[in-house]
Amino acid sequence: MDRFAIVTAFGQDRPGIVALMADSLYRLGCNIEDSCMTRLRGEFTMMLMVRLPAGIDADTLGSRLTSKTAPLDLALLCRALPDQAATRHSAPDVPTFMLSVYGADHPGIVAQVASTVAQQGGNITDMNTRVIGSGEVPVYVMVLEIQLPQPQQAESLRQALDALKPLLGVDLTLRPLESVTF
Amino acid sequence: MAIRPILQYPHQGLKSNSAAVLPADPAVDDVVQDLLDTLAASPGVALAAPQIGHAVQIIVVDVSRKKGETGHGLVVLLNPVILALEGRKIVREGCLSAPDYTGNVLRHEEAIVEGLAQDGRIITINARGFEALAFQHEVDHLNGMLFLDRIQSLSTDLFRRKTRG
Repeated sequence: MDRFAIVTAFGQDRPGIVALMADSLYRLGCNIEDSCMTRLRGEFTMMLMVRLPAGIDADTLGSRLTSKTAPLDLALLCRALPDQAATRHSAPDVPTFMLSVYGADHPGIVAQVASTVAQQGGNITDMNTRVIGSGEVPVYVMVLEIQLPQPQQAESLRQALDALKPLLGVDLTLRPLESVTF
Repeated sequence: MAIRPILQYPHQGLKSNSAAVLPADPAVDDVVQDLLDTLAASPGVALAAPQIGHAVQIIVVDVSRKKGETGHGLVVLLNPVILALEGRKIVREGCLSAPDYTGNVLRHEEAIVEGLAQDGRIITINARGFEALAFQHEVDHLNGMLFLDRIQSLSTDLFRRKTRG
């Protein structure tokens, strides 16, 4: 029975972080399955689903990885993953939408938008946010990928989001993600 | 002929260049019929010969199989080439030969495609929108290219590694 763990790690961005992390995992007998890594300003952040070898549990992996990657001074966390969570599923054919929200930066934009999406039955499957613009006039930008189980929910979500615009002082657009399979 | 299994990567036939064909070659008709039979039994709108195991330059496209699309209906093209592309756009694309994954690829809104009909006539097609995407995708198959070779950005497109000017 395969066992899986999630490793999250972050540290000051520099060349070689992925290389040392991957090499350490490889030498510990772990297999990197799905992963996501990106840079948040000067911090490089990683989330990895790894398949554990026999005889090593998530806690052991966490301590061994921390010591092997010590030169990088990463903040590292390793947790066992329930088997069913690591099962691969075929991508379901759920209508997917992109939502862009942007406006003058102030607290609460993400919270209000996300709760509106949740209330409308939408599932946020991916999200990026950035503060852009000049230091004096910071602009908040968020881009979300949202799955709606029923396409007809889109209109009601659109109306709920439109109602947020004057409240939050943001502009936003919800659009179907053109996804094609050949 | 027959419904053929649609090959999935890592089958190396999907990564090879395909050979041009002669319309008079009777083997061409067999491949075309297999493509049509397989397409009819698939959930897709287009297929290229390498996807059913033939390393030859034949594609079939029928976007009218998708609700709301008409395009040029069923098109069978031998030795197709893309003469011109217009209107860059990013599209989330997937492929029956690399299932369960989609990626954002750079495509074009309009494509002019030229090839031969089965009777040897030259056919030139001005395709737009969904149909243009289908032709670009299928011609890629003839050159051993999968959408995975064209992924443009990992997730949303807005934030890709822009350097401040």
